[in-house]
Amino acid sequence: MFETTKIVLINTKRSLFKKIEEAPFLYFFFLIMMLGSIFLFAFVTFFLTYSEFEVSINEIFLGLFSIFTIKAIVDFYNNYTKSLPLSYSLSTQTNQTKIAFEIFLAVLITQLTVWFSLSLFYIFSLSIFRINLWYPVEYLQFTLGIICTVLLGTTIAVYFFSSKKYRLMPTIILLTFFFYSQNYLYIVYISPLIVLHFIWAIRHSISSYLYVKRKERLKGKYETKIRNKISAIANKEIIILYRENLIFSFILTAVTTGLFTGYLFLNGTEILIPDSLKDTVADILPSSLLLLGVYVIVFYTAVFPSLALFLNEDKTLWIIRNLPVKNETFVFGKAKALILCFITTIPFIAYVSIFIGMDDILYLFWFLVFSYLAGVIIAFPLGVKYVGRKSDILLLYTVAIILLAVLGFGSIFGRFVGDNFELPIIFYFLIIMFEMFILYLSLKASSKILALKY
Amino acid sequence: MIFIKNLTKKYGKVTALNNVNFNFKDSEITAIMGENGAGKSTLLNICAGILTYDEGEIQIDGYDIVKNSIQARQNIGFLPEMPDLYDRLTGREFLFYIASLRKIENAKKIIENLTNLIGIDKSLDFELGGYSKGMKQKISIISAMMHNPNNLLLDEPVYGLDPLTSRTIQEYIKKIKGTTVIATHSTQLVENIADQVYIIMKGKVLLKDNVKDLISKHGSVEQAYFHIKDENNV
Repeated sequence: MFETTKIVLINTKRSLFKKIEEAPFLYFFFLIMMLGSIFLFAFVTFFLTYSEFEVSINEIFLGLFSIFTIKAIVDFYNNYTKSLPLSYSLSTQTNQTKIAFEIFLAVLITQLTVWFSLSLFYIFSLSIFRINLWYPVEYLQFTLGIICTVLLGTTIAVYFFSSKKYRLMPTIILLTFFFYSQNYLYIVYISPLIVLHFIWAIRHSISSYLYVKRKERLKGKYETKIRNKISAIANKEIIILYRENLIFSFILTAVTTGLFTGYLFLNGTEILIPDSLKDTVADILPSSLLLLGVYVIVFYTAVFPSLALFLNEDKTLWIIRNLPVKNETFVFGKAKALILCFITTIPFIAYVSIFIGMDDILYLFWFLVFSYLAGVIIAFPLGVKYVGRKSDILLLYTVAIILLAVLGFGSIFGRFVGDNFELPIIFYFLIIMFEMFILYLSLKASSKILALKY
Repeated sequence: MIFIKNLTKKYGKVTALNNVNFNFKDSEITAIMGENGAGKSTLLNICAGILTYDEGEIQIDGYDIVKNSIQARQNIGFLPEMPDLYDRLTGREFLFYIASLRKIENAKKIIENLTNLIGIDKSLDFELGGYSKGMKQKISIISAMMHNPNNLLLDEPVYGLDPLTSRTIQEYIKKIKGTTVIATHSTQLVENIADQVYIIMKGKVLLKDNVKDLISKHGSVEQAYFHIKDENNV
C-alpha cells in the first residue's frame, strides 16, 4: 500500500541527507539563512503591528500560494513527468493512475512538512516578540490553501507537459478569478472544483509522461556543423533551453513583469499603501517596485538557468569528464548560453518604459545588466557545487536572499550615481566593467569547483 | 597503450580495486571479466578520467590520466555501461556536439559512414530521450569511435544490440589497431574477439591469460571462469 509514495519520500529524504553530508557547512548556512529570514519576518510583523500598519492577510496568502504552487509544479514534474526510474513502477500491474496519485501524495506530504515546520517556527518567533497570534480558523484555511497548491501544481504539471495544453483552461480560469478577487477565501470556496480538475488531470497523467519521452525533429532543420568548443557547448545549451520552452517563457515573463511593474510604478502607492503611510513611503515605493520587477526577471532568467545548466547534468556527467575539454571551457560555454537568456529580458525595459517614460532608461538598462551579472556571479558557483543534483528549496532560497541584498545595494548606489554626477554613464560603465571582472573570477572559481567534483 | 600500476580505489569502506596492475598493449583486445561488483566498470571509468582513484598510477599512451588529463583523454574512446545522453538533443546533434569538442575534421563524412555501418542513420533526427536502450548504445559507440582513438574502453559493448549490429561491432573492433579494453560478462564475446583476458574478483586480479591458451586448457572461457572462481573460493 502506497509503495510509490514511500519510495519517493525515502528518496527525497536520503537525497537531502546526502547533500547535507557532502556540504555540511553550506547547508548549515542555508538553514541559518532560512530560519533567520523567518525570524526577520516575525520582527517585521512585530514592527508593523506597533506602527498600526494593517497587514493584509490576502497578500500574505497570495505570496505563500504562489511560492507553494511553483514548488508543487516542480516537485511533481521531477518525480513524475521527468522521472526515468518511474518506468519500472509504471510497467507493473499496479494501476498507472494510482502510481501518479501516490506521487501526488508524496509531494503533498513534503509540502505540508515544509508548511507546518516554517509556519510553526514563525509563530514561535512571534511569541518571542510577545505577539499572540490566535487565528485557528485562518490557519486551517491557509493549510487548506497549501493543499490546494499541490492539487493545482499537479494539474498544471500534467497538462503543461502534454499535447493537450488547452486542458489547462479550467485551472487558468479559476486562478484568474482568484487573482482578480484578491480574497484568499476564494480558494477555499472553489476547492471542490480544484479537486475535480485534479482528478481529471491525474487520470490523464500517463499521456503527459509519454509525451515528454519521444519527439521527432525534422531532418536538416537544425544546423549540424563543427564549432569551436565554447560555441558548441553554448549551442547545445541553447537548443535544450529552446526545446524546454524556456526561451519563450522568459520573454513572456519579461513582458508581463514589465507591464505589471510599470503599472504599479504609477499606481502602486494608491493601490497598495494605506493613507496613513502614503506620505512616508511615496518616495521610495516606485523605485522599490522597479527593483522588485528586475529582481523577478533576473531570478527567473539568470539564476534559474544558471543553476539548471549544472543541476541538470545529472547522469550525463560522464560526457563532460571523458572529453578532452578543460572544465573552464565547459563553464565558459555554459555562461555564453546565458547571453541569449539576457536578451530575452530586454522586453522588460521596453514595456516598463510605456509607464515610466524614457527619462530613467539609462539607469534602468544599467540596473538590469548589473542585476543580471550579479545573478550569474552568485548562482554559477553554487550550481557547480551541486552539479548533477536536484535543486532544493534551501539552495534557491539562499540565492534569492543574497541576490536581493546585492540588488538593493546596487539600486541605492546606482541612484546615488545618477543623482550626483553629471555623466553617470561613465560610472555605470566602470561598475559593469568591474562586475565583468568579478564574473570572470566567479567563472574561474566555478571551474575549480567543478574540477574537484567526482 | 594503457599502463596501470598499483591502482587502488575505495568507495567509503568498500575497496573496489585493491592494488591492481594492468598493461594493455597496442593492437591487442583485452577482455576484463568478473562477477557483478568485481570492479570492471570502476576500472574503465578511472581509465576514462571519469572517476578519481586513491592510490596508483595510470598512463594513457605515456600521459598521466591526472597530470596530463587533457592529452590522455584525447586518446581515449569510452563507452559506459549505461550511456545516459542529452535527452533533448537529436542523435545527429549529439554526435556533432561531440565532434566539435573533439575537433574532428571530416566529421560529417565520419558520422555518415559510422551511422550507416551501425544502422542508426534512419533515427538520427529523433530526440535521444525517445531512443531505446539499443539505439542509445549505438549512438554512444559511434561517439566513442568517431575520433579514431588509440585506446578504446568499452563497457558491455554489445549489450542491448540486435544480432546483426552486434556482429558488425565485433568485426569493427577486430580491425582496430590500437588498444581495446572490454569489460563484459559475455564469454562468447571474449572467445570471438579478445586476445587477452583478465578475471577480477573483489577488486583483485585472479587471472591474466591468453584467450586461446585458456580455451585449450579448459575447453572454453566459461569453463575457465568457473574453474578460477572455484579455485579461489570466491
